[in-house]
Amino acid sequence: MSLTLEEVEHIASLARLELTAEEKERYRQQLSAILDYARRLQEVDTTGIPPTSSVLPARSRLREDRVEPSLTPAELLRNAPHAEKDQFRVPPVIE
Amino acid sequence: MPEYEAVIGLETHIQLNTTTKIFCGCKADSWFDPPNTNICPVCTGLPGVLPVLNRAVVEKAVLLAAAMHAEIRPVSYFDRKNYFYPDLPKGYQISQFDQSIGKGGYLDLPIPAASAADKQAYTRRVSITKLHMEEDAGKTKNAGGRRFVDFNRCGVPLIEMVTGPDLRSADEAAQYLIRLRQLLRWLGVSEADMEKGHLRCDANVSIRLKGETGLNPKTEIKNVNSIDAVREAIEKEIARQIHETEAGRKIEAWTLEWDEDAGVLRKMRSKETEADYRYFREPDLLAVRLDDAWKQAILRDLPELPLERRARFVAQYGLPEYDADILTAERSLSDYYEAAVKAYGGDPKKVSNWLMNDVLRMLNDAGLKAEDLKLTPAHLAELLKLVDSGKINITTGKALLGKVQESGKSPAAIVEAEGLGLVSDDSAIRAVVEEVLAESPAEVASYKGGKLTLMGWFVGQVMRKMRGKADPNLARQILEELLQ
Ligand SMILES: [Zn+2]
Repeated sequence: MSLTLEEVEHIASLARLELTAEEKERYRQQLSAILDYARRLQEVDTTGIPPTSSVLPARSRLREDRVEPSLTPAELLRNAPHAEKDQFRVPPVIE
Repeated sequence: MPEYEAVIGLETHIQLNTTTKIFCGCKADSWFDPPNTNICPVCTGLPGVLPVLNRAVVEKAVLLAAAMHAEIRPVSYFDRKNYFYPDLPKGYQISQFDQSIGKGGYLDLPIPAASAADKQAYTRRVSITKLHMEEDAGKTKNAGGRRFVDFNRCGVPLIEMVTGPDLRSADEAAQYLIRLRQLLRWLGVSEADMEKGHLRCDANVSIRLKGETGLNPKTEIKNVNSIDAVREAIEKEIARQIHETEAGRKIEAWTLEWDEDAGVLRKMRSKETEADYRYFREPDLLAVRLDDAWKQAILRDLPELPLERRARFVAQYGLPEYDADILTAERSLSDYYEAAVKAYGGDPKKVSNWLMNDVLRMLNDAGLKAEDLKLTPAHLAELLKLVDSGKINITTGKALLGKVQESGKSPAAIVEAEGLGLVSDDSAIRAVVEEVLAESPAEVASYKGGKLTLMGWFVGQVMRKMRGKADPNLARQILEELLQ
C-alpha cells in the first residue's frame, strides 16, 4: 500500500505541520512502509474474535468526588508565552 | 403551496453537577470564580500527568441513561478526539466514541394541545442516538482586539446526548428541552440552567414534503442558550427553508449562528473540509467496567420519573392533567404534595388547590424549593383540617400559611396563641347580634318589611364587630331567630 502525496499533506495539516516537498516525499515512503508492516497483521483470521481495546484486564481506577488543591493562576501562567489579567493571551483564531 | 413538515434533531451538552471535574480534583463549577482558579496539571494538559475518572460522573451518566431507557454498556471506553483550538490545552478532548456508556434510548414526549397544530394533545417518541461522557473545553473570549483563554471549564463533566431526526416542529423541540431540563433536575444530575451553559443545544433542521420519509440536506443552528431562543431560531429557519425551496433554490448544509440580540440567524464561515478527529482509544484510561453490584447500587437511586408520576397523580388522586403537570414540575414539590395528601386524608384536589394557589406563590416569591419550607406537609394538612372543622375560616387559613412558614410553629399552636379561632360560643355571638340590631333600627324595619337581602349586611356587621372571628353560620342562625 502506498500513501499519496495528498494524504501526507492532509495528515500534516491535521497535525499542524509544515513540510517541505522533500519531507513530504520522505514521509510518504516511511509512512507507507509502516502501514505495509501493520497490514501483515490483517492476514490473521480474526473471525469470531471480539476487537481488543486493551490487553490489560484491569478496570479504570476511580476517584471520589472530592475537591483537591489546584494550581494558582500565577503557577499556571508561568509557562505562558503571553498572559494578561490571569489569562492566556492567544492570537485571534480564524475558523 | 404544498405542505411541508420540519425534521429536527437536537444535540445537547449537559453539564453534570458533580463537585469536581471528570478527571481531576478541581472544583467543577466556576460560575462565580475568577479565570484560571480551578485548574491543575491534569485539566490544563501539562506533560506527564494521568487522568483519573470521577466515580460520580459514571453514576450520574448511568442514572440519565436509565431514565432515557438506553441500554447501559457493562464495559465502555474513552476515546481521544483530536483537534487544535486555543481552549483545548491537550490538543485533544477525552470523549467516548463507539463504545459509550449509553446505547440507544428514547423519551416519550407529551405534546400539550396548545402546542399541537390541530389542538389535540399527543405523544412524540424521540429516539436517542448518542449518549456519552466527555470533558468540556475551556473558554476563549475576545476583548479589545485580544483573545483570552480561561481554563476553568476544562475537564468539567458533560454528557453529550443526541436525538434522532424525530421532532416535527419548533414547539416540539422546545417541549423536548423543557422535559429534558425537568428530568435532569429531577434525577439530580445537572442544574440544567441554559443561561449558565449547564444545558447547551444545537439544532439540526431540514424540511420535506409532508408524507415523504427521506431526509433532505440540513442546516445546523448553534449558540442558542434559552428554550425560547431555540423555538424562535428553528421557526425562522423552517420558514427560510420553505421560502428557498419554493423559490426553486437548494438548501445547503450551512452552519448557522443564532444572534440573540438581533433575533436572526447568521451563516458562520463554512468549513472547507469535513472535520477529521482521528478518534482512537484513550491510552491513559482503562475500560469503565460497570459490574452488576455497582449498577444495581446506582439504579436504587433512580426515582419514579416525572412523566410517570404525572400519570399516576391523575389516576390515583383524580387530579386534572393541569394540576398533575404543575405538581410534578419539580420533584420536591411532588413529594411534598404526596406527603400532604397522606397526612390530610381528605380530598386530594383540595390539597392541590392550596398548593397551586398559595404555597407555590410563597415558593416563587421566596425563591425556595418545597423541601426548604418550614411549613411542612404535616402543617398544611393540619391547617386544612382546621378549616374543614370550622375552627378557622379560609381567610385565616391563608394568613396562617405565612405565619407557620415564618415561625415553624404548628398551625394549631398559632391559632391558640393568637386567638385566631372562630367564636362559636352562642352567647358571645348573641350579645353582638343584639348590639347590632339595637344600633340599626332602620335596617331592622326594612328587613321586617320584606327586604330579606339585608341578611348579608347584618352578618357583615356582626363579623366586623368580632373582627372576623365569629362563626358566620351561627351568626346567621341567631340573626334569623331574633329578626323573626
Ligand atoms: Zn484539574
